[in-house]
Amino acid sequence: MPADVKHFAARRELAQAISTVERPGAAANQRIQVALATSAAESRHALVVGITGAPGAGKSSLAAVLADVARSAGRRVAILAIDPSSHESGGALLGDRVRIDEHPDDEGRFTRSIATRGSGHSLAYVTAAATILVEAAGFDLILVETVGAGQAEIGIARLADVVLVVEGPESGDEVQAMKAGILEVADIVVVNKSDRPGAQATFDRLRTGLALGAGAPELLLVSASASAGITELLTTIDEVGSRRGIRGRIRRVEAHLIAAAEAHMDAQVREATASGALTTRAEQIVAGSAPLAGALSDLFGFSEDSDA
Amino acid sequence: MAERATPIRVLIAKPGLDGHDRGAKVLARGLRDEGFEVIYTGLRRTVDAIVSAAVEEDVDVVGCSILSGAHATLLPKVVVGLRDAGASDVIVVAGGIIPEADRPALEEAGISGIFGPGTTIPEVASFLRAHARRR
Repeated sequence: MPADVKHFAARRELAQAISTVERPGAAANQRIQVALATSAAESRHALVVGITGAPGAGKSSLAAVLADVARSAGRRVAILAIDPSSHESGGALLGDRVRIDEHPDDEGRFTRSIATRGSGHSLAYVTAAATILVEAAGFDLILVETVGAGQAEIGIARLADVVLVVEGPESGDEVQAMKAGILEVADIVVVNKSDRPGAQATFDRLRTGLALGAGAPELLLVSASASAGITELLTTIDEVGSRRGIRGRIRRVEAHLIAAAEAHMDAQVREATASGALTTRAEQIVAGSAPLAGALSDLFGFSEDSDA
Repeated sequence: MAERATPIRVLIAKPGLDGHDRGAKVLARGLRDEGFEVIYTGLRRTVDAIVSAAVEEDVDVVGCSILSGAHATLLPKVVVGLRDAGASDVIVVAGGIIPEADRPALEEAGISGIFGPGTTIPEVASFLRAHARRR
């Protein structure tokens, strides 16, 4: 065996395991189970950090520079970068590696691009399972970068130990900061691009808006491109993470089970749509020839008593 | 959307010192629309970086776009690098400006397909569907 094969063996095994869990079934369950057993046996505990925020706020750049800082402190760091699959073709363009330097000789880094593949949410179904595998492979810090639009915040809040919301330098007023939504799930709000005009004003507005609520998130001003404030950010992430305790793996399994249930439901909805069964039933309901009651059990196999 | 098989994963790479990536981007976008999962790595990547990214992303295909004239040096190194990393089931294809006279040597070195100017996206897509490993 050439030396390089050994060199890449661990990363290759992890990469293939993630591909396995992207295809639901017995092999996927088996792989996740083995990973959980490994982490328990070896006392492995990763900190999973969700990074979300609007497109263009700088999530990828921030993940890359956080990874650099954590790696130079000796931590093993993985990035899982989620990008959307096309609803039309099922294909995806995964471009996050453009912003992440490759470190081919460093076994302490791992980057994987994940397409959402039919997930109605902007967090791929497989994300929770992937974090379980990456933790078992011995990575201490897992940065999960979401698509940054739609309902990602719900999924990432379930999965991550610490949720980071990234804002650009011109992200609205303090009333927006008080609205329900993405900022509600934030443990840490990061105003990125501190070198740009407007960043300080955004920071001040967010501080005013966020301070009004109980359990306000931490607020930091950073620049990913200038690598300013990143060490402080990592310290804050660790502080929030340590307050959370060691429930992380249980939370990841919960998030995986919810994602699996959603995948199952979404597949049934797609099938009922594609086969025409949904339209047929809707037509019958409108015409009065079939009842609304029982439709969910007929179409999607829900049990009768949950069927409104 | 009907159920689909697992999408074929393709790494699109620009090896070496070559700052022209329009062709690579057009192909990346086009293959996305053909149902592929395309990982685009950006400009000026070393052979080791391409191999490492291909391993981590568990791709089925590495597509190298090269307009610098260094194809005869760099492309065989990608094939060897993948083989040494235990990923010899990943096929390597190339696009860009590659003279006819250089093709036999590249094919000999393990480059599965060479697509010059004028190749259409559907041609590349059907080649990859026919030649990429099955899952």
